[in-house]
Amino acid sequence: MSVLRRFLRTPEAIAGAIILAALFAMALSASLLFPGDPQAIAGPALLPPFQDWSLPLGTDRLGRDVLAELFHGSRTSLAVGLAAATAALVIGAIVGTLAGFAGGLVDEVLMRITDAFQTVPGFLLALAFVSVVGPSLGVVVMAIALGAWTGPARVARAEVLSIRERDYVAGARVIGMHPLEIAFREVLPNALPPVLALSSVIVAAAILTEAALSFLGLGDPNRVTWGGMIAEGRTVLRTAPFLSIIPGVALVLTVLGVYLAGEGVVETTAVRRSLS
Amino acid sequence: MSGFTISRRTMLAGSAALLASTAMPVIGWAQTPKKGGRLVVAADSEPRNLNPAIVASNGVFFISSKVVETLAEASFDGKDGLQPRLALSWEGAADGLSVTFKLRDGVIWHDGKPFTSADVAFSALQIWKPLQNLGRTVFKDLAAIDTPDDLTAVFKFAKPTPFQLIRNALPALSSVVPKHVYETGKIEENPANNAPVGTGPFKFAEYKAGQYYRLAKNTDYWGKDEPWLDEIVYQVLPDRTSAAAALEAEEIQLAAFSAVPLADLDRISKVPGLKVITKGYEGLTYQLVVEINHRRKELADVKVRQAIAHAIDKDFVVKTVFLGYAATATGPVPKNDPQFYTADVPTYAFDVTKANALLDEAGYKKGPDGNRFSLKLLPAPYFNETKQFGDYLRQALAAVGIDAELVNNDSPAHIKAVYTDHAFDLAVGPPVFRGDPAISTTILVQSGIPDGVPFSNQGGYKNEELDALIAKASETLDTAARTELYKEFQKKVAADLPLINVAEWSFISVARDTVGNIANNPRWAVSNWADTYLES
Repeated sequence: MSVLRRFLRTPEAIAGAIILAALFAMALSASLLFPGDPQAIAGPALLPPFQDWSLPLGTDRLGRDVLAELFHGSRTSLAVGLAAATAALVIGAIVGTLAGFAGGLVDEVLMRITDAFQTVPGFLLALAFVSVVGPSLGVVVMAIALGAWTGPARVARAEVLSIRERDYVAGARVIGMHPLEIAFREVLPNALPPVLALSSVIVAAAILTEAALSFLGLGDPNRVTWGGMIAEGRTVLRTAPFLSIIPGVALVLTVLGVYLAGEGVVETTAVRRSLS
Repeated sequence: MSGFTISRRTMLAGSAALLASTAMPVIGWAQTPKKGGRLVVAADSEPRNLNPAIVASNGVFFISSKVVETLAEASFDGKDGLQPRLALSWEGAADGLSVTFKLRDGVIWHDGKPFTSADVAFSALQIWKPLQNLGRTVFKDLAAIDTPDDLTAVFKFAKPTPFQLIRNALPALSSVVPKHVYETGKIEENPANNAPVGTGPFKFAEYKAGQYYRLAKNTDYWGKDEPWLDEIVYQVLPDRTSAAAALEAEEIQLAAFSAVPLADLDRISKVPGLKVITKGYEGLTYQLVVEINHRRKELADVKVRQAIAHAIDKDFVVKTVFLGYAATATGPVPKNDPQFYTADVPTYAFDVTKANALLDEAGYKKGPDGNRFSLKLLPAPYFNETKQFGDYLRQALAAVGIDAELVNNDSPAHIKAVYTDHAFDLAVGPPVFRGDPAISTTILVQSGIPDGVPFSNQGGYKNEELDALIAKASETLDTAARTELYKEFQKKVAADLPLINVAEWSFISVARDTVGNIANNPRWAVSNWADTYLES
């Protein structure tokens, strides 16, 4: 309880939490509020917002309900953001732990691979990966994770390097635990907190990357995505700017919310650490 | 940087005009053509090969038709819809084995050499027949060309070839290039492919990749007092939204080929000083077509294909996807074709109930999730409209219980997937009707076409009756009988639906009011612009 109270002490964290809660509510209620295919044609084309209360945010070029698309799009954004961040953290933590704990040649090889990935901009990597394999949700998640795991890997390695010298690790060695068991059961859990602190940044970046990929037409065309909505609205930017502005604002708020909430978590844990 | 210079100059010119108009009492804005001036045009692509004799496509013609001329050009009121260019007259023999062209006298190439029948013979035999994308079919039986004198070329065919087809092919397929430039070395690698030499009203002057093409006036042009313009500059603006802004800012004076998005036209038409022109593309009709892979057992059933045709609301497509700038289609020949079109074909009204009934009849009942079967749908990426129609078609199919999964590809990947790998169930394609079904339309239906030929029947469709009809029409010499056969062809295609024709559309030009003589022939955007002028 006290952790939650500490978390809610900063206004940024509250704002972030509210935005995130709203976003999750949107994603969870999408099928309830807007059952059926959000891409179904619901009314006349290019209806401006606030004209017809059955279509409060208007319709796009084919007459699809913008509000329904926005709700269903939040699912894609969240799903991709969380899945990509999870994948990146898992890969990064494993690679970092192995490199840090094993040391020597393994460390060198793994870290040089990490360096190689880090020299290529994450977005370009994702772009190349998706255009070769072909766009679908799973591929997009993989593509984003591919460019995002290097940060967690480096942080995890640095933590592991200090933890592996601790007494309890030496103790575990003495009782004859398998090195891999020590690495993943004793060392990794203790190295995780600073790695997890990266998650908010990775989620935010993943959501943006997904939107950018969809904007370039490399998203999954069978799903509504905010980036795809912005891209479609771009052709009618002068006559129906709301088609790009609405999903754009949603995107900005989401990334802001994720970031603020993440900051709040970091602050809370920092306070807890200094207290202990 | 050149873009800046041009805009600054036009701005200077604009402000000078403004000064003049305030300094002098305005008596009346007479629409007076003026000699000279530079026309700045938006170009959305940069074709690498600019030789229209090899690549007969609108992207190439848009630039090079001003430099390299054809034997004849399309016309609204000329005999057989043609007007003379390099040829003054054309006569087909009764046996269909020869066509005689009388050529224009006193024409010289841009490099100063005289134009003769040898150039025509060389272009036809060495380029149109073996190398040109469209000429390969039309001129396949061309055996030899006799040149009794410098101004006569007699095309000799090995098999009877309908004169009507040759005539209809002239505007797009008969670009004449100079023999003396092309006779040494490989034709495909000739440097003149990138800097064309022709007889046209404009000479190719300059190309800066990613920036502009510049054409300069040909002072020795055969047309009296032509061309009117001093220069044409094609400003490369690959982003479709920027053309409208450039027009409003007076950086360009003309945006052809719908460079201004359809959704912007309504707004643009109200901007003072700009006009929206829907004419001048009658000879370049694009067809919105659902290509079908008949290797899928469901789609091999004509009832399923008819159900899909009934599931598509063509009026909605015209109204929403094309914003009214299109017409609904009935069959493989567009409604605006004056020679071949017939409305007397089976039609498929928008009727979801009937579509569902047909699918039930075909034995594909709805499953518990409401779906009958799943399909892969590949919309061609070339136009916004083809992509949007793909989105619409997915919804239309969902309404009758067919689950279509959209697959988006870039152009090369789409062409490979559909026309080489056949990795599609349905595809959305934009084939072009070029004034005669034998040029690029029957190929969409005919069987026996090798894998990998783009914009042809790669759906595995085989109908011996239709194949026989196409073969018969290709050797029928009598114009009336041939036209009748193609009407029969339209009926059979509409009945059996090897592909589904949804709509026909053409392009829109937006120009400043000062540009004159726009859209005065059915292929205006790809004609020679010798009489285009800027008002003073």
